[in-house]
Amino acid sequence: MSPRQANFSPYVPRPATLVRKERLSDMVSLFAFEPDDGRSLAHKPGQFIMLSMYGVGEAPFSISSPPRRQSVEFEIAVRNIGTVTNALHELEVGQKVGVRGPHGTFFPVQVFMGKDTLFVAGGLGYIPLRSLLHYQLRHRDEFGRIIVLVGTRNPQERIFTDQIAELAARSDVEVYETVDVPDAGWKGNVGVITTLLPQIRSLQPDNTYVAMVGPPVMYKFVIADCQKMGIPAGNIYVSLERKMKCGLGKCGHCQINGVSACIDGPVFKYTEIQTLKEAV
Amino acid sequence: MTAYTVYMEQLGPLLAEWSRRMGVFVPVQIQEALYDFVPWSEHEEIAWDYDVAYNSIKRHFFPPRENLIRFDAAACTATPVFEAPDQLLFGVHPYDLKAVNQLDQIMEGGAPDQNYMRRREKTVIFALQPQRVAATAFWGSMGSGHVDIGFDLFWTKISPNAFYVEVGSPRGEELLLACGDLPEATLAEREAARRERTRILAEARGQGLKYPWEETPRLLARNWDSKLWRHKARRCLSCGSCVLVCPTCYCFEVREEMDVDMKGGTRFREWDGCMLPSFALVAGDHNFRGQALERYRHRYFRKGKYIYDKIGELGCVGCGRCVRACTAGIANPMAVYNELWEAEQHES
Repeated sequence: MSPRQANFSPYVPRPATLVRKERLSDMVSLFAFEPDDGRSLAHKPGQFIMLSMYGVGEAPFSISSPPRRQSVEFEIAVRNIGTVTNALHELEVGQKVGVRGPHGTFFPVQVFMGKDTLFVAGGLGYIPLRSLLHYQLRHRDEFGRIIVLVGTRNPQERIFTDQIAELAARSDVEVYETVDVPDAGWKGNVGVITTLLPQIRSLQPDNTYVAMVGPPVMYKFVIADCQKMGIPAGNIYVSLERKMKCGLGKCGHCQINGVSACIDGPVFKYTEIQTLKEAV
Repeated sequence: MTAYTVYMEQLGPLLAEWSRRMGVFVPVQIQEALYDFVPWSEHEEIAWDYDVAYNSIKRHFFPPRENLIRFDAAACTATPVFEAPDQLLFGVHPYDLKAVNQLDQIMEGGAPDQNYMRRREKTVIFALQPQRVAATAFWGSMGSGHVDIGFDLFWTKISPNAFYVEVGSPRGEELLLACGDLPEATLAEREAARRERTRILAEARGQGLKYPWEETPRLLARNWDSKLWRHKARRCLSCGSCVLVCPTCYCFEVREEMDVDMKGGTRFREWDGCMLPSFALVAGDHNFRGQALERYRHRYFRKGKYIYDKIGELGCVGCGRCVRACTAGIANPMAVYNELWEAEQHES
């Protein structure tokens, strides 16, 4: 529905059909949808949708797939943790949901072009970052180094393990992974995600842009360490999660001090939010 | 600006005519020292000298519960719901009108809120010059004693049986002349209205902020860590009464209900408030403002700084409704801001 239509309402979702469902971990699955009207979301990396499970409710989800020209399909990856996500996990291929969006700000890919990108993905933060990461991989020549840090609570909760293994095998992507709590089989790095930062070889701070998404507790530590390494505050981009109900900057739930995470964010340049007390 | 003189006895036929065309709401006394807007009927006695209405008029364009969409759960299709009755609010004080103008700006900005705007377009507002100032009000010091826009007519009582009525829109003028021509106001009547306005503004300025209101955003910016927040919030019941009566609060929750046949349903919005503990709570039990202190501070920053940073005026118009609604006795923006101000005077 377009704003030019007389009966337009920004609250009306459009139907989309589940075309693929993939288990990523005990709690997390990937869902691929196609809008029934055949029109692409035309999203940019970092944006989110409001997804309706009719009869249960509506909730925000980051788009995990990169922008695609050849297909209208888009992906989200969701942890089964609340009422809407419970219902979503029950959904079978061929069934429908409602979708509004894309909403919010995005990672400015043009700014990142020609520069090195440091991805910092804490837990489910890999999901939204994957959109930017896959965009960069598709246009590999236009970007400098791609350094990916992945931190997870424990090995069982790791997601996209096959894809991350593929990335690690590539010569043009540097992958560093850690878990907070290892199990018997874990042979990799142990510790919080900041323990990976010193392992990065010959980082050029001025030429590096950071894209960071993770649990609320992660940001201030990673940001502080990035700055200690000499990365300018203006090169650091974060995506912040908040409760969202309208996605239009009206309902007030996602406010971080005076800004709305749904329209002023979720992606912020760190310099835009560093004076906000409630941001990170 | 065109202005007319209207005599009390001319009002009956006019009100009857208006109520034939639309729902007319007027302020009446509902109990001792308590006023509110109710649907007009010839049996209602309009409280021309009411000090403040218990509820703000926002519920007329932003109802406590409002349907947004109707959906078919199986097909996953939805259609918008717009309900916008023709209505006339007669007797709106300037501070409340300022709040409406502010809501208009916020709801129309960015992605326009069609539900709000449609209701607003169907609403006629006749403003009324207050004759008394509520004991809890401080609008005189908040720059809310005067509005230039937002009304279709502006009524000032200039004698026991006459009003000076300024025209704010063609729609207002048409309604005013609906029962026949009226005399244009004389210079003397205009002067009488001006005197009445000056008198009440002077009275209103007597209670309020101890510093110019424009300083509030800067005052707050310096006082994020003030002890006042903890001190006051300790008594906060997190009941949300202050946000429900506030004319400029517009936060809402979105929920839905299935029909009894479980096929279709309605998604609606309901007033919500940043003072309620669940307001910023997300799945996984993370609460972005889990403490009463954080919620309490957020409210006063929103009224005194965040809204100002957005649109250049304070998000508090000084109506004083929250002061009366708060059973813990802590929800007085004027007291909060004055205390912060005074603490700084002692420090320097």
